[in-house]
Amino acid sequence: MVRRTIVRATVVTALAASLSLMGTLPGQAKVEEFRIVEAGGKSGESIEKGYITPFTEKTGIKVVRENPNPLGKLKAMVESGNITVPLYELGSTSMAIAEAAGMLEPLDWEAIDPDPMFDEAKKPYGFGYQYYSTLLAWRADAKPLKTWADFFDVEAFPGKRTLPDNFTLAIPMALLADGVEPDKLYPLDLDRAFKKLNELKAHIAVWWTAGAQPPQLLQDNEVQYAASYSGRVAGMPGIEMTYNQGLLDLAYFVVPKGADPEEKAAAMKLLHEMSVAENQAKAAEIVSYTGPSPKLDALLPKDRLAEFPTTEQNKGGQALSQPTWWAENRDKVERRWQEFKLGM
Amino acid sequence: MTGAAKRVPAEAGYVLPLLVLMLVVFVAPILLMLARSFTHPEPTLAHYRALFETAVYLRILGRTMEIAAITTGLCILLGYPLAYWMRSLSPERQVIAATLVVLPFWISILVRTYAWIVVLGNAGVVNRMLQEIGVITAPISFLYNELGVIIGTTNVLLPFLVLPLFAAMLKIDERLLQAAASLGAPPRTIFWRVFFPLSLPALAAGAILVFILTFGFYITPAVLGGGRVPMVANALDLLINQFARWEAAAALSAVLLVVTLACFALSRWIGARAAQ
Repeated sequence: MVRRTIVRATVVTALAASLSLMGTLPGQAKVEEFRIVEAGGKSGESIEKGYITPFTEKTGIKVVRENPNPLGKLKAMVESGNITVPLYELGSTSMAIAEAAGMLEPLDWEAIDPDPMFDEAKKPYGFGYQYYSTLLAWRADAKPLKTWADFFDVEAFPGKRTLPDNFTLAIPMALLADGVEPDKLYPLDLDRAFKKLNELKAHIAVWWTAGAQPPQLLQDNEVQYAASYSGRVAGMPGIEMTYNQGLLDLAYFVVPKGADPEEKAAAMKLLHEMSVAENQAKAAEIVSYTGPSPKLDALLPKDRLAEFPTTEQNKGGQALSQPTWWAENRDKVERRWQEFKLGM
Repeated sequence: MTGAAKRVPAEAGYVLPLLVLMLVVFVAPILLMLARSFTHPEPTLAHYRALFETAVYLRILGRTMEIAAITTGLCILLGYPLAYWMRSLSPERQVIAATLVVLPFWISILVRTYAWIVVLGNAGVVNRMLQEIGVITAPISFLYNELGVIIGTTNVLLPFLVLPLFAAMLKIDERLLQAAASLGAPPRTIFWRVFFPLSLPALAAGAILVFILTFGFYITPAVLGGGRVPMVANALDLLINQFARWEAAAALSAVLLVVTLACFALSRWIGARAAQ
């Protein structure tokens, strides 16, 4: 009696499962909606307002945003063969790692047909859609900083610090503090960087992992000095910042290998919207990061020009990241970083 | 076990679908993931060798054990007197006390962890109160170090020790204690020679449970440690998400699983010894 019930239950379950699977078979006629994975927070809102809204108005295709965007998630997607998104946001270093590991498909630049863009944003495997800077920030009631050397100088500038728990940022910061010129940073001198970091270690109260942490820590007076993403502290009351010696970088949208071709074609049109200067200006209203258009400067609000990373006045003093060096040397650096964090 | 084969009751069939589900959805992926540490890219023990040769991971394991041991000790020091006191209450008060112990579970662990930041931070409740009274002049760093992690973890895991211990203490026969008293034993002797040994198996089980949970704990050390207290789970997060080195993560997970199973075996052995 029991056995009959079980057999019946199993057959019903199998039937239900196969029916539901049929509904999700790929190759359906028309794309009505696709998903993208991005960093979330204010950056995600800027994508929504600046790029997704005009895209949906023009094409009628809805875009759903997912976050966050760790590299491990992309790797899981590609290895399992279950690609759920045609677009994935990655930092420049993660993109170089993903490219070297064969996780990406090349972009269809003809389909994107972009408006004029800066060269470094136009990569075969990635669309650089957002310039952002990691820079010096401090509480308004603390002694102002000018350079990373100041940040690492605890006697002249007393107080607790917070640095990103990310060696692609922390090591260049230490080298700049030790006097290396911004354009002579790479290849990185690891011994020199770790020596400098060890000097500061006792005064680093928190190693932050989320972009929202540094401004919160500054406001709570947990730390007096922070290295933070520019968009998170720009214009915040009680916090000051400087673009001098900032670490300029680009966030890219990439296509995972094996993405659905029709979703990819639709996604290319979304990328076109990201190259339009007017859309970039709208995105910049929400979070002060800039898009890759050379015409953007003219469209930015004049009274807030100091907040943006790629304006004339700010772009000059910054150091640009070199993802190819990182893709080759990441393993070596990671081990030393772990040893450093554990105090050896 | 008797000589004759045990008859499986017919009702066991109802559990079968759930068993199959658990095997497919839970056990199989874990085994596949662990197998990765042996077989990727070709059958090798190299990942384990790298794990044990790199002093970093050994240090992480050691530090995690240290924190787990301290947390377990603190939970015992705080939890045993609490359970003992709860036992001495009237039944209605016992219900209230047990509810108060369980109440924190109704609040998300993430909210509880962040609440500690508000309480222990430099501009937090404790520091400001101490500064108002005049005990200290500069704020004490409770957070973003081992102290903060231990405080937060102890707070979260204390009920796991108190509740089983309380339940076991209730089962200890009052007449045994009365018999000891009638034989002339003073209260202190009654406690240490009669009551405490009877509560020891439950205490050991609860302590091992807290140890296992702390050993694999992720969220509270990640938030309250500020990246300065790397424990096994945080290292796994780095390896899986940031560096995408899954073979190393699988090897470390296997070590974590072995330690946990060893602790579990220990607790079963203690339980079996106590039943004799």
